[in-house]
Amino acid sequence: MVPRSLIDIDDVSRDEIIHVLNRAASFKEAAPSRDLLAGVAVLNLFFEASTRTATSFTLAEQRVGADVISFAPGTSSLGKGETIADTAITLRGIGIRVIVVRHPESGFPRRLAETFDGHVINAGDGQHAHPTQALLDLMTLRNEFGRFEGLRVAIVGDILHSRVARSNIVGMKQLGIDVTLVGPPTLLPESFASEGVRIDRDLDAVLGSVDAVMMLRIQRERISTGLLPALDDYTRNYQLNRTRLRGLRTDAVILHPGPYNRGIELTDDVLDDPRSRYVAQVGNGVFVRMAVLDFLVNGATVAA
Amino acid sequence: MRTLVRGGRVIDPASGLDAVRDILIENRFVTQIGEHVDPGDARVVDAAGCIVAPGFIDMHVHLREPGQTHKETIASGSAAAVAGGFTAVACMPNTDPALDSPGVVADVLRRAEAAALARVYPIGAITRNRAGEELAPYHLLADAGCVAFSDDGATIANPRVLRNAARYAADIDAVFISHCEDAHLKGDAVMHEGAASARLGLEGSPGLAEDIIVARDLLIAEDAGKRWHIAHVSTARSLDLVRFARSRGVRVTCEVTPHHLLLLDDRFDGYRADAKVNPPLREDGDRAALLAGVRDGTIDAFATDHAPHGLDEKAQLLEAAPVGFTGLEIAVGAYAAALPDLSLDRYIALMSTNPARILGVPGGSLGVGSLGDVTIFAERAWTIDARLFHSKGKSTPFDGATFGRRPVATLVDGFVVFEHGRVMPRDEGVPA
Repeated sequence: MVPRSLIDIDDVSRDEIIHVLNRAASFKEAAPSRDLLAGVAVLNLFFEASTRTATSFTLAEQRVGADVISFAPGTSSLGKGETIADTAITLRGIGIRVIVVRHPESGFPRRLAETFDGHVINAGDGQHAHPTQALLDLMTLRNEFGRFEGLRVAIVGDILHSRVARSNIVGMKQLGIDVTLVGPPTLLPESFASEGVRIDRDLDAVLGSVDAVMMLRIQRERISTGLLPALDDYTRNYQLNRTRLRGLRTDAVILHPGPYNRGIELTDDVLDDPRSRYVAQVGNGVFVRMAVLDFLVNGATVAA
Repeated sequence: MRTLVRGGRVIDPASGLDAVRDILIENRFVTQIGEHVDPGDARVVDAAGCIVAPGFIDMHVHLREPGQTHKETIASGSAAAVAGGFTAVACMPNTDPALDSPGVVADVLRRAEAAALARVYPIGAITRNRAGEELAPYHLLADAGCVAFSDDGATIANPRVLRNAARYAADIDAVFISHCEDAHLKGDAVMHEGAASARLGLEGSPGLAEDIIVARDLLIAEDAGKRWHIAHVSTARSLDLVRFARSRGVRVTCEVTPHHLLLLDDRFDGYRADAKVNPPLREDGDRAALLAGVRDGTIDAFATDHAPHGLDEKAQLLEAAPVGFTGLEIAVGAYAAALPDLSLDRYIALMSTNPARILGVPGGSLGVGSLGDVTIFAERAWTIDARLFHSKGKSTPFDGATFGRRPVATLVDGFVVFEHGRVMPRDEGVPA
């Protein structure tokens, strides 16, 4: 049997997502024994800089007792000098059983998983996917609302360049969450609309009707590459700020994958707002990653 | 040298002939066509149960020589051509050095002659080194044997340069061929921009990148009075622009590849580069428009854009992998699979008669006095096995596909250069 990998959130079924979230919740309640992954070598292979995700994975790996190796090859060496297949064979030969990989190009983890005789966990590839981020977002939503079916979530900002948005769209659709995408046409083409996923250009009209709003990071290079005009034109339409917070329901929550840009997609008022769940999100990240490691390596019997 | 092609169903769109006939070729030319021709001492090619057509001409191939002979050589590309049922190919100038001087063109022709398989017609560059700045010497290139001009994949960005090129070369009949992709709209795209690229998180190139250059180039064609050909159309709107230009009297033709007729932008889920190509595989609406464009006559020619690369090169990540793939040895079957309802007469016109007319080269007809270039094919199922290609380029998204039409034998100047799966060089050099 081919070892299972997590490249995007649709590599696991709806029931498996629930299982992983249950495990994560139990780990949060009581730390598991540190031998769940005893003797399993995990390689953190980050071709792209990361602080939160790399730290979160490393801590998760240590808490389930894995042998942890972290390596940041930079973007130019591995995977180019030798083929992806050669890299995979070499790492397996050394004894690596799990590769946690981040890469600037969409698709690298998928290609790696094809030839690596072990588990690959995608820690973010290009603009494609970031499944553990989606899982921690889902965990945060479930803590808050106790359910998924019928929840209404708005994802706001640079959808086009966001692997967080893509994985969340896939995961939320699987779980029956009603998704509205909000952003300007240059960062949110019409092609993102699909069954269960709406596009709306009017953030003010959307805010009053959602249970959660996820604000995505806006990068300044979107201005130099001609996708956005001056930032204040963007903030006029899409920034979450003191005025717009009044339009958000009192029982709604605010998510952000981080790192956030204060004064661009959100203002300080948002971070201070009691509805903000950023700290809960990063906390949940460690438990979700522990649960994913446990699920992929040890498997689970999930009732259909 | 005498060859008799016996008992095949001869279809010649140029004359309207469609009947079982024997064809006798003597000293390079067809001398007799009849129900029963006495072979005498002629070599006999049994074509019973097969279709006999004027030699197929692929007016868009990349032979990689000079400069990239690890991908293809003129010899290996010529072998792929005749094995694929083509008696002639027109090769694009994106070699190293580019086909922008008579010496390089002469070298290509010498190598083609030495290979002694398919005819090779060089396409000269429009600008020096295909850099889009200085004009190439059109008259000298035409004298050296260039049958058309193109900068191919390097779409000329500056319309002033292209307009001047078209005006300067207006007195040469050789057509200008445009590969239409606006570099700014295309950006770093690895595929078509649409729902699939959005889902996969891959950079996409919109259909607009093609349309806008088709429109521009056809306006320049009209302005300069230059005959024009649009390479590998891939969008519905490009075809509309061609129709519009024709309605204004512009002399414009266009071609379509097998992959744009058969494949869509849904082939990137595995993030593999085997279907990475320029212009990219599009959406179903475009594909439907291309099929309709063949049926209604908007599209004049079939051309493969044969673009061989090493398997190791194509195995790289999407961004690094080169664009294009091999086409010569799948074309006969792939076009039939795309358009099973297309009449054989029209199929042969698009494979032979029209490319010959567009390029202004001999061939494209099969009557007494015609060149002895003959393609024999059959309605027989076969499965593509890229490992068996004569081309050095073994990468094709059609590997493993089963098609219902296949090449059987290929004759150039009356010499059998392909039969029974074997490629055989002519035993004497013949000027191309």
